[in-house]
Amino acid sequence: MPGSVRTRWVVGAAGVAVVVGAVVTAFAVWPDGASAQDPEIQISRSACGQGWTDPKPGPQTFRLHNTGAVTSEVDLIDPVSGVIYGEVEGLGTGTTRPMSVTLGNGPYAFRCLPEDSAAIVGPTTTVHGGTDRGPGVAPVTQNDLLGPLKVYEAKVTQGLDQLATDVGALTDAVHGGDRAGSEKAWLTAHLTYERLGAAYDAFGDSDRAINGTTAGLPGGTADSGFTGFHRLEYGLWHNEDLRSLGGVADRLATDVRNLRTAFPQSQVDPNDLGLRAHEIVENALQFELTGNTDYGSGTNLATARANLDGVQTVLDVLRPVLAPRYPALSQVDSWMTRTEATLDAVRRPDGSWPPVTTLSRAQREKINAAVSELTERLAPIAAIAEPRRVS
Amino acid sequence: MTVQEPAESSRRTFLRRTVVGAGLTAVAGAGVGTVAASAAGPDPDTVPFHGPHQAAIVRRSPAQCVVASFDVTAANKAELTDLFRQITDRARFLTRGGAPPALGITAPPADSGVLGPVVPPGGLGVVLGVGSSLFDDRFGLAAKKPKKLKPMTMFPNDSLDDAQCHGDLSLTLSAESTDTVLHALRDITRATRGGMQLRWKINGFSSPPRPSGTPRNLMGFKDGIANPVESEYDRLVWLGKGNGADDGEPAWTEGGSYQVVRLIRMLVEFWDRVSLTEQENIFGRRRDTGAPLDGANEQDVPHYADDPIGTVIPLTSHIRKANPRKPETDSSRILRRSANYDRGVDSNGNVDMGLIFTCYQQDLERQFEAVQKRLVDEPLVDYISPFGGGYFLALPGVTGSDDHYGRAMLT
Repeated sequence: MPGSVRTRWVVGAAGVAVVVGAVVTAFAVWPDGASAQDPEIQISRSACGQGWTDPKPGPQTFRLHNTGAVTSEVDLIDPVSGVIYGEVEGLGTGTTRPMSVTLGNGPYAFRCLPEDSAAIVGPTTTVHGGTDRGPGVAPVTQNDLLGPLKVYEAKVTQGLDQLATDVGALTDAVHGGDRAGSEKAWLTAHLTYERLGAAYDAFGDSDRAINGTTAGLPGGTADSGFTGFHRLEYGLWHNEDLRSLGGVADRLATDVRNLRTAFPQSQVDPNDLGLRAHEIVENALQFELTGNTDYGSGTNLATARANLDGVQTVLDVLRPVLAPRYPALSQVDSWMTRTEATLDAVRRPDGSWPPVTTLSRAQREKINAAVSELTERLAPIAAIAEPRRVS
Repeated sequence: MTVQEPAESSRRTFLRRTVVGAGLTAVAGAGVGTVAASAAGPDPDTVPFHGPHQAAIVRRSPAQCVVASFDVTAANKAELTDLFRQITDRARFLTRGGAPPALGITAPPADSGVLGPVVPPGGLGVVLGVGSSLFDDRFGLAAKKPKKLKPMTMFPNDSLDDAQCHGDLSLTLSAESTDTVLHALRDITRATRGGMQLRWKINGFSSPPRPSGTPRNLMGFKDGIANPVESEYDRLVWLGKGNGADDGEPAWTEGGSYQVVRLIRMLVEFWDRVSLTEQENIFGRRRDTGAPLDGANEQDVPHYADDPIGTVIPLTSHIRKANPRKPETDSSRILRRSANYDRGVDSNGNVDMGLIFTCYQQDLERQFEAVQKRLVDEPLVDYISPFGGGYFLALPGVTGSDDHYGRAMLT
């Protein structure tokens, strides 16, 4: 429910009164978020973290000044636990950037991560007299993601095998001149694809060929660049001659085969895994729950439901990484369950799905609310699961 | 068309200080001196959030606003309570301003950044209302329904679009700049996605005085000259006081006020083809000064008793129908807080602009509806088209940091 992640963490971490108190000061002194009064911290190999002379609790801003010769990343960490409380990436040599954090009791240190050389952890500074620390999380490293990536790739590979089978059945039905059978096989195959969670170019050009829409195609549905599932959908549900659709189906089968061949040779970007958690649902909100990608089948809700399965796969493989780092993970799980149930509630008794535009306003609002809340809860996963250097 | 007669200056001086209204629903006291009131001042940086009433109701409309309606998607009363708490927390922060929390690497930024790294209050005012649909069987609140709350009535000249009408909640955000209200809307909706969904929304603005006095609407007429003064609020605006013990309203509504929002398209292309004399006869006021047709200044009071058959101010004119200025119509006066809107093009290539009529009152039927019924079939109806809006109860104010919107309603 509406208890948003951020609000909860703020209250848990710093206390509303502390935040508000600092705000008043910030107005007077730091109209741009940082000022000359803020401590300037040196970032370089030789002087990492120097310049913090007056440790104090509460919300505050450091001015990070890269005095070294190369671009650097900077973290503010607890040197004992490794938890990161603040991060600035790509701090160019000679430049100064603010880092805003809320400090509580305990030890802190700046970690400088110069490009192409090992990390340096600066002197430890201990803060006293405050309350709880602002929100922090232990970094996720490339190593941490190796296991999840391997499992994820295996699952996608499995899904691509299923997809090849399903598209084969679809191609057969189209060539066999069976429209009803083709439509049924189309949905089965399309949902298998959507379950893979191919949001935002996860499969690059293949996704465009397999699942592209008419967006960006001057000729619209008649454009020669319009291929794949949605082209076939358009033809099947607009009574196009099945013989003329055989080529479309064959082309889809070829594109799927190519993806299946190429996928094991490619690597899923470790960055993508965390991003995909919310991006799959962003896609569902933008393209399915609006009905924007309906080319005749009226199956956007089935797609959205398949997308949730795709999200579940991502959550399952990332769980070991997220469980110790994301306090609200259980709420992600409960919103997943709730969202699935909200979608399932509009499914017809025979298992088919009504077109999203035929739902009542109340039904659409319920679905939009659940998917939107879920998306908000998934968004922090991208920040938390981004692979980071620590050494 | 009514023939204009020069008004005698001698007969308008004795009520010179009385303020009267023009505009789509002009109402002012019959013979009672009224002055446009502005409890919070015209241009404050901060609108006090805590108090017995929602403070933004009584201040003059600032330059920008957004009026939005939501349907509640919370599953039960506990979630509804959570929703009201969230709205309260966000509104409290946004009206006060401050630095959003730094979330480090644990989440996307807490704030959209639209107002810069530190959120300025920007004169933001928040008014939250509840519609009659909130009191259906979803949350067990039927027994708590404000007695006079109901779905917005469809009047004879309306062409209402259900998609732009009604709603479980209304949220009116007003401030001096557009970015402030849009930032607030995004902040509040982000914190409440699971609990409520936007049903309709419209952005509005209040024009600067041209050249002075009351701001003009998009028909070129000064709109909203007259309003009850603060000393009259207890008998005209607020629930629970000054209206006797038998108003039948549940106790929790004390300090609230019935809110009417009417989205009214103005057919401005048509209007601009109408002669000035006819325009002025339709309103009953001069377009240049805002004065009633028997007066010289916008604050002059029309003297209907001296003009019984409407030779100066037509009997069918807007101001005369809206407020006949008789003792028996005094209790129908309302507190108006309207804004202009402008939002695009219709299928005929005409611009879609008009008025977000908003008013507050103690009793929907005694006040807004009584006025509206007097206005049925007024000549102005040919040039306007009400298409949306709703009836709401603007909740009592949030009294302190331990209180939240709707607390008394939910307990």
